[in-house]
Amino acid sequence: MGDKSSDVVQGTLDMLVLKTLALEPMHGYGITVRIEQMSKGVFHVNPGSLFLAIQRLDRDGLIKGEWKASENNRRAKYYALTEKGRKRLNNETREWGRQAAAIARILEAS
Amino acid sequence: MSLLRNVASGLRSLFRKEQVDRELDEELRGYQEMAAEEKIKDGMSRKEALRAVRLERGNLEVTKDTVRSGGWESVAHTSWQDLRFGLRMLRKSPGFTAVALLTLAIGIGANTAIFSVVYGVLLEPLPFRDASGLVLLNETTPRVGKVSVSYPNFLDWRSQSTTFSQMAAVCEAGFNLAGVSRPESIGGEAVSANFLSILGMRPFLGRDFEASEDKAGAAPVVLLSYALWQSHLGADPSAIGRTIMLDGTGYTIIGVLPPNFRWTGQADVLEPIGTWLGKNPDAMKRGDRGDMPVLGRLAPASRFAQARSEMEGIAARLSKEYPASNDQFGVALTPLRDAFVGDTRMAILSLFGAVLCVLLIACANVANLLLVRGAGRTREIALRLAFGATRKRIIRQMLTESLVLAVLGGVLGVALAFAGTQAITQLMPPGLFMGAKVNLNPAVLAFAGILIVLAAFVFGLAPAARSTKPDMQRHLKEGSAGTGTSTAESRLRASFIVAELALSLILLAGAGLMIKSLHLLLSVSPGFQVDRVLTMEMDLRTAQYNKDDAIRNFWQNVLDRVRTLPGAQSAALGTEIPLTDSHSRIDITIEGMPLPKPGSFPHPDTHAVSDGYASTLGVPLVRGRTFTETDNENGSRVAIVNAMLAREYFPNGDAVGKRFIFGHPDPDKAPQWLTIVGVLGDTRMYGLAQPARLEVYVPFRQAPKSHMNLLVKSAVDPAAMTSAIRAQIASIDKDEPIFAITTMSQLVSDSVTTRRFTLILLGLFSGLALILAAIGIYGVISYSVAQRTRDIGIRMALGASRTDVLRDVLALGARLTGVGLLLGLIGALAATRVLSSLLFGVRYTDALTFTAASLVLLVVSLFASYLPARRAMRVDPIVALRYE
Repeated sequence: MGDKSSDVVQGTLDMLVLKTLALEPMHGYGITVRIEQMSKGVFHVNPGSLFLAIQRLDRDGLIKGEWKASENNRRAKYYALTEKGRKRLNNETREWGRQAAAIARILEAS
Repeated sequence: MSLLRNVASGLRSLFRKEQVDRELDEELRGYQEMAAEEKIKDGMSRKEALRAVRLERGNLEVTKDTVRSGGWESVAHTSWQDLRFGLRMLRKSPGFTAVALLTLAIGIGANTAIFSVVYGVLLEPLPFRDASGLVLLNETTPRVGKVSVSYPNFLDWRSQSTTFSQMAAVCEAGFNLAGVSRPESIGGEAVSANFLSILGMRPFLGRDFEASEDKAGAAPVVLLSYALWQSHLGADPSAIGRTIMLDGTGYTIIGVLPPNFRWTGQADVLEPIGTWLGKNPDAMKRGDRGDMPVLGRLAPASRFAQARSEMEGIAARLSKEYPASNDQFGVALTPLRDAFVGDTRMAILSLFGAVLCVLLIACANVANLLLVRGAGRTREIALRLAFGATRKRIIRQMLTESLVLAVLGGVLGVALAFAGTQAITQLMPPGLFMGAKVNLNPAVLAFAGILIVLAAFVFGLAPAARSTKPDMQRHLKEGSAGTGTSTAESRLRASFIVAELALSLILLAGAGLMIKSLHLLLSVSPGFQVDRVLTMEMDLRTAQYNKDDAIRNFWQNVLDRVRTLPGAQSAALGTEIPLTDSHSRIDITIEGMPLPKPGSFPHPDTHAVSDGYASTLGVPLVRGRTFTETDNENGSRVAIVNAMLAREYFPNGDAVGKRFIFGHPDPDKAPQWLTIVGVLGDTRMYGLAQPARLEVYVPFRQAPKSHMNLLVKSAVDPAAMTSAIRAQIASIDKDEPIFAITTMSQLVSDSVTTRRFTLILLGLFSGLALILAAIGIYGVISYSVAQRTRDIGIRMALGASRTDVLRDVLALGARLTGVGLLLGLIGALAATRVLSSLLFGVRYTDALTFTAASLVLLVVSLFASYLPARRAMRVDPIVALRYE
C-alpha cells in the first residue's frame, strides 16, 4: 500500500485479483472472466497487465500458484490466496473503502 | 522476507530461464485456448475464435514479453546480452580493441599507481586516536626558521598552556646496540612518559612508561618497535623483562610498540626523556636546542588557531623573560599530519594532476576510436532504431560495450600499477615517506574501480549519444556503408584532439620546467668535491669514552690506520658534513664588534674537523692556512671561518689573525679567544637549493666530539674500501657501530630526490601524453583523408597539384595544433604554478621552456599529420573516382 499510491490502476488490479482469489483458487483466464463479469463489463483486463500483476503478487508471497487439471481436463496454473494475501486484501479493502468514501464526499459536496 | 522471495524468484527466472519460459508459455496458451473455447461454444469456428481472441486480448508473444520484462531479472538479462554482444564486437575488431585496451591500461594503471602514493602519504589516516587534534610544536628564529625546542622552554609551555590538554617532548636519540653479531646504531626517541597515551596508542606487548620512570636516575627502561622486536629478538614474547645493552648500559625491555606505530623519524627504541636527560645534562640548559620537537594534543574545546595565538603569547613572554637564550625566538605549530607529509605534498599532487591528464588524453583517444568505429556501425544502429529500439536502449548497449572495454583495460592497468608501485617504492629513498605504505590496498583498488566506471562514461557517452542521433537515419536510405560524416561529428572529433594537445602541452611544460630546474640545481657548485669520497658515521657512547683523551686517542687511531690503507688518498674527520641535515650552531662574539641584541649575534654552523678535512672534501682554501697536526690540545686555540663570515664581519680587512669567542661575553669569565688562521670557501650545508650560511671550523683535538664522520678520499671506487675500513676500526674497538655509510656523490643525489622523482615521473607522463596525442591526431587526419579520398580525387582530376593537397591536409593538422597549443599555453600558465615550490632558478612562467614545449608538440603533431597527408597526396584520381 502507501508507497504505490501514485500507481492507482496497478494497485487496483492487484486488489481485484486478490478479491477474486478470495472466493476460490482460479487460473488466469478465470480471473479475467470473473473480474469482467463482476464489473459488469466496465473493466477490460488485458492479459499483459494481468500476468504482470500475478507475477508481482506471487513474488510478494500474497498468492501461490499450482498446476492442476482444469474443468475440461486441461492443465492450468491455479492461484490461491496465502494467509499474507488474505491480510493484505482485508487491509486494502478497508483502506479502499475509506478513500472511496472520502472521494465520494468531496465530489458530492456542492 | 518478500524481498528474499523476489530475489529468489528472479534468480530462478535467470538461471532456469527455459523452464520458466515454458511454464509462462503454457499458461498463456492455456489462457488463449480457454478464451477461444468460449467463443467456439458461442458458435465460431476455431480459426475465427483464435483470431477474435487475438483481437480482443492482444498478441501472445507481446504479452509474454511484457510479463518477462516485468521483473528485475530482465534488466540483468539484457545487460548480460549486451555484455556478450560487447565482447563479441571487441573480438571482431582486434586492432581497435588492442589499441583501446593498451591506451586505457596505461591511463588507468598510471593513475592507480600514483593514487597509491597519494593515499599512502596524504590520505591514509595516521594510526593515532583522533589524529586531527595532534600538533607538532617547534621554536622558530628569524635566522634559521624552525628549530628544536629547548627542554626548559618545553616545561614552561606545558605548565602555561591551557589550549593543549597534554604535551610531550620527543627528542631524537641514537643508541649503540652491542652484544650482537655486529654492533649497530639504532635510531630512537627519548620521550615524555605520556607520549604514547597522547597518541592514543598502547604497547602491543608489555606496558607503557610510568611517570616514575621519567626521571634522571630512574632504572633504565625501553620500549622497542615491533620491527626491532621481530628482527633482533625473534618476536619472542618472553623478551619483555629482559635486558638489552644500549650504549654500554643494561636497559629493561618493558614493552613492544604496536606494528602500525609510526613516527616522523626513526623510532626503534623509546626511552623516557627523564633518564636520557640524566645522561645529557647539557640539554637542561634553556639555550641548548637539540633535536626535540614537542607533541601536543589540543584540549577538546580549543581550536588550532586559538592554540597558536596562545603559544605565541607564551613564547613572547619567555623571550622577554630569558633574552639571553630566547631573544627573537617564536613558536611554530604544525598539524601532525602535515609533519608526516613533509615537503612532498606539492610533488605528489602535481604528479596526480599529471596522470589525470594522461587518463583524459587516453579517454579522448578511445572516444575518437569509438566514433570512427561508430561511423562504421551507423547502418546497424539505424536499422535497430527503425525496428523500434529506443535511443535509451541503444545508448545503454553502447555504454555496456564501453564499460567492457574500460573494465578489461582497467584490469590490465591494475596489473601495470602493481609493477608501478614496486618501481615507485624502489625509486624513493626509504625515509622520505616516513613509514607511509605505498601499495595496492583496498582503498586504491576501489579508486581504480571508480576510475574505470568514470572512464567508461567519459569516453563512451559522447560516441554513444552521437551514434543514435536522428539524422543518422538518413543512412538507411543511402546505400553506401557510412561514408558521409556529419560536420557535428567531425567537430566532436576535432575538439577531442584539441583537448589532447592542450593537456599534452601542460604536461610537457611542467616536465620542461622540472628538467631545467634539476639541471640548474645540479650545476650549482656545492662548495666541495663529491668524487670518490666515502663517508661514515660513528658515535662513541660507552662509558670508556667519557674522557676527552679517550675520544682524541680513538679518532687519532682511526685516522692513522685508515690513512695507511692502500687506495686511501686522504682521510679526515668532521662533525657536521654537508647535506646530512645534521648541524650544530652557536652564537659567536668577534673581538671588538659592537654587541648586538642577544638574538642577533652571528650564529654560524660549527664543525670540529681534523687536519686534511678541506683537502679530502675539496673545499677550497681562500686565505691563510688549514689545520695541521700541531693544532692540538697543547697548541693555541685556532679556528677557520668560511668566506661568507669573512665577508660579512671583516669587510674591510683580513679575517686571518682576528679573534672571537663562542657564546656571548661573560664578565665573570676570562674570554677563551680563538684566533682565525684561515678562510675556506662556502659550502651548501643544507642542500643545493639552500643558500650558504656562516661557518666556523675548529680542530677536533681542541674540541673533541664523540659523534663524528670519517671521510675517505680514495683512488678507486670508494665503496670498495668499506670493508677494509671496517676491519681497521674493529681492530681498535670491535663494539662501536659504524653507520650511515655512503658517498658524497650519493648524498648530493639524495638531496634532490623529491625533485628527481617528480621529474622522472612527470617526464614519463608527458612522454605518454605526447605519444597518445600523436596517435590521436594521426588517427583523426587519417580518417579525414580516407573519407575525402573521392573529393581529393576530383580536385586532382580538376588540376589541383599534389602540393595543394598536401598543404590542405597539413593545414587541418596545423589548425588543430594551433588551437590546442593556444589553449594548452593558457592551461599551462595556470597549472605550472603548483610546481613553484619544486622549481629552482626558473619561474613557472619561463618563456624558454614554454616555447620549447610548444615546439616539441608542434613538430610531433605536424609529423603525425604529415604521414596521412602524404597518403592523400598519392591518391590516384582515377582509382579514387572508380572506388565509390
